[in-house]
Amino acid sequence: MVVLASVLGVFDISLDKLSNGELWLAQFFRGLSDGATYASVALALVMIYKSTGFINFAQGSLALLGVYLAYIFSVEQGLPVALAVVCAMVASAVVAAFIERVFIRPFPPDHVLPLVIVTLGLLLIIDSAVGIVWGFRTRSLPSMFPSGAPIEWGIAQLTWRTIGNLGTVFTVVGLLYLLLSRTKVGLAFRAVSSNLESARLVGIRVGPTLGFGWALAAAIGTLGGALVVPDLLLEPSIMLRVLIFSLAAAALGGLDSMVGAVIGGLVVGLARNLLVTFLDLSELALATAVAVILVVLLVRPTGLFGSTRVERV
Amino acid sequence: MSSTYLEVRGLKAAYGDIQVLHGIDFSVDEGQIAVILGANGAGKTTTLRALCAMVSTEGSVRLGGEELAGQSTADIVRRGVAHVPQGRGTFPDLSVEENLMAGAFVRTDADVRADIEQWYETFPVLGERRTQTAGSLSGGEQQMLAIARALMLRPSLLLLDEPSLGLAPMITRALFEQLTAINEEAGTTMLVVEQNAALALRVANQAYVLEAGEMALSGPADELAADDNVRRAYLGY
Amino acid sequence: MRGLGVVPAGSRQHRRRQIIGWALFALVVVLIPFLIADTYSPTIFGNRYTVGLGNLSQAIGMMVAILGLNIATGYSGQLSLGHSFFVGSGAYLTAVLVNEFHWSYLSTLGVVVPGLFLFGVLFGLPALRIQGLYLGLLTFAVAAVFPSIIRLDEVKDRTGGSNGLQIESDLVAPSWAPLNTVTEWLHAIPGVGSRVPDGLTSRQEEAVYKYFLLVIVALVCFWLVRNILAGRVGRALVAIRDNPLGAAANGVNLAAYKTLSFGISAAVGGVAGTMLAMHSGFVGPDEFGFAMAILLIVGLIVGGAGTLHGAVVGGLAIRFVPEWSSQTQTLPGTDTALEGPYGTAILGALLIIIIFVLPGGAAQGFRRIKARLMPVAPQPPRG
Repeated sequence: MVVLASVLGVFDISLDKLSNGELWLAQFFRGLSDGATYASVALALVMIYKSTGFINFAQGSLALLGVYLAYIFSVEQGLPVALAVVCAMVASAVVAAFIERVFIRPFPPDHVLPLVIVTLGLLLIIDSAVGIVWGFRTRSLPSMFPSGAPIEWGIAQLTWRTIGNLGTVFTVVGLLYLLLSRTKVGLAFRAVSSNLESARLVGIRVGPTLGFGWALAAAIGTLGGALVVPDLLLEPSIMLRVLIFSLAAAALGGLDSMVGAVIGGLVVGLARNLLVTFLDLSELALATAVAVILVVLLVRPTGLFGSTRVERV
Repeated sequence: MSSTYLEVRGLKAAYGDIQVLHGIDFSVDEGQIAVILGANGAGKTTTLRALCAMVSTEGSVRLGGEELAGQSTADIVRRGVAHVPQGRGTFPDLSVEENLMAGAFVRTDADVRADIEQWYETFPVLGERRTQTAGSLSGGEQQMLAIARALMLRPSLLLLDEPSLGLAPMITRALFEQLTAINEEAGTTMLVVEQNAALALRVANQAYVLEAGEMALSGPADELAADDNVRRAYLGY
Repeated sequence: MRGLGVVPAGSRQHRRRQIIGWALFALVVVLIPFLIADTYSPTIFGNRYTVGLGNLSQAIGMMVAILGLNIATGYSGQLSLGHSFFVGSGAYLTAVLVNEFHWSYLSTLGVVVPGLFLFGVLFGLPALRIQGLYLGLLTFAVAAVFPSIIRLDEVKDRTGGSNGLQIESDLVAPSWAPLNTVTEWLHAIPGVGSRVPDGLTSRQEEAVYKYFLLVIVALVCFWLVRNILAGRVGRALVAIRDNPLGAAANGVNLAAYKTLSFGISAAVGGVAGTMLAMHSGFVGPDEFGFAMAILLIVGLIVGGAGTLHGAVVGGLAIRFVPEWSSQTQTLPGTDTALEGPYGTAILGALLIIIIFVLPGGAAQGFRRIKARLMPVAPQPPRG
């Protein structure tokens, strides 16, 4: 008991907090909501990783661009937020398809290192372009979902936004699952990610298929950004943090598993909120994400749901 | 004698700076089986890859009178050329059934389903494992799947790269019997690269010998099988 | 272009050319601080650009940082997007040692080098199990987390938290350093002399002295790394990068060498951190965040991964490109000012352009030009 008390003391934990069931529940809901947003950016990362075998470090930047477009469409042009987000998803998909065509396709798909470096260059360009065009002033993007909470227990609120975020992510995963398993373009996509050469030999046009993957990933990333930004303020560096948490989520889920990305996202969201609240580790929240990545990669490099790939050496 | 279906003139191919094929000529008659023999590194695999535009090439490749040179792999496949590459011709993460569906990717007709069932009958082991991923099959089963996948295209020309690689002799013989049967029933023209020269020469009508990227010998398969040099070099007696 | 004619490798003419080359290099390195002690500011298309000694000194620190990254990424092929973590650790270690224990800057290297080496080895141990992209992912996250570690409540008193840390030590040129005398001599030389001030202010003297200290540290680093890489270790690292299976089959202990490469890489990165702390007398958490990690990758690729002189070009590029970009008040033909984020965008574009047209970076470009101008015939083996 003394030991426990001293451990709690080190972390500045009060037993009052720990025994407060409503606080737990409140943080649980908030964690689910955050987790849903990480999950959707993680899904975008997984889409690219599945098809191309590399991590698109510009994924957060594409989402950033998308969210700014959503802001323009909704706040400045006066479209309803949901419609603005859909338009922004389409626009970022077009941009991503263009980027894939111009900057990515010239490289052989199995040359991973130059591709990763190109995505780093794109990250620098897109992030600074957003800064150039829209400046560094913070803005707020309204949420797609109504405010208020249909269910409340004291301070614990299950808000419409949490419900909306979760519902959106599960809908996206469901639609993606149907797309990939029931449609011809989904079959092409999975064939390309499974065996590039055989995919060519059955007549699949690999380039457009990957371009489609990029477009889809950008749209999903933009949606994720549109879910997360209403909780924060919109400014050019916002997606970096989200990207780190999403990378942690994707790594936890196994990088090539979509279900894994969603569960990973929820776990990271929950862990983050509980740690910040009960251990008072707000500065360490990012570090926690990094620790998650490290531990997962060490203990189980394929994540919780990833498939094992045979690696040379 | 039937008409020439595949006609190759002055085919060159290179990987970067390394020239592998130095302008080879050969042809395959419609409905026939042709075999390409040669030592390792002679350019056999490259020849098949060149026909599908999987390497950068020069020269003329005519299929049923139409020029293929300059077309993309995807377009060549749409002309009815199916290729079973060496070793890993399947999609390991997809189920057996999805592999077969991927094989019919460019087909738009309604018979795909029926064809899948037909190949399940021909290769019953695939029918038993239709929901398993291809990566979980044995080497022989994967080779069958790769061939069935290629045939799902209903190809007019089937390119086979070392179909017997890694297979037990019994299975190899059964496989070649299947291929002969398919050739007779569907009239599919086939071009086979094979290490097992004796077996290949037995099923083939025409034969070619590649040496260091040049066509060294050509002729009817039975004549080549009787040629002393071929016998010593490739048949080992 | 005709060039200078072919000389056989190892011949007297070839050696003479090499000696002349090095002598010219030494002359430039020695003269340049005096030439730009009064900040050199040419005007191009109506824009005033500056070539300041301070920026050059900072670029030298960046060169060493890129040199360190080069060992892990360029030579042994392990994608490290978190090199800024090592640089930042070195810088903060120096700052704390100077401030709290009143060490001199250079003596902190006695702690920074072994400390960061150990740190790098510890970091390299998980990296053994984590390959390629996964390593990139992990190091990327580590880079992003450095500033928040510095800002932690537990260490805020030491590190200065968000405000950064002013280092309480000045680098004053010792009285025996003949910097003013040299300046006067140079000033007396007709032609060149007009660019040199006829005496250094104390600020300028400090800047020139700092420059020479940094150059010496950098030269020692480059020399040591060159020797390490020219020997057994370097061959093993390149073998691991190009063909890990073959290297392992030939008895190269992959684990040991990979860990070692991380250790050396981190130690050199730490030295770069010390140098940057020396340069500015200040360390701040966001300087060493993920932006720097990417900047170092840009420098590595633009200069040429896997080459030593690539690090020099890379260091200059990542320091001066953003600087000059922000000084472009009017782009010719337009009235656009390239301030703020334009510099980063240009670096990003440079990175992509280099990957497309010159994958070997500037070093590859130099080799091509050199092969044109001063061809060297390889010596035929003696029979």
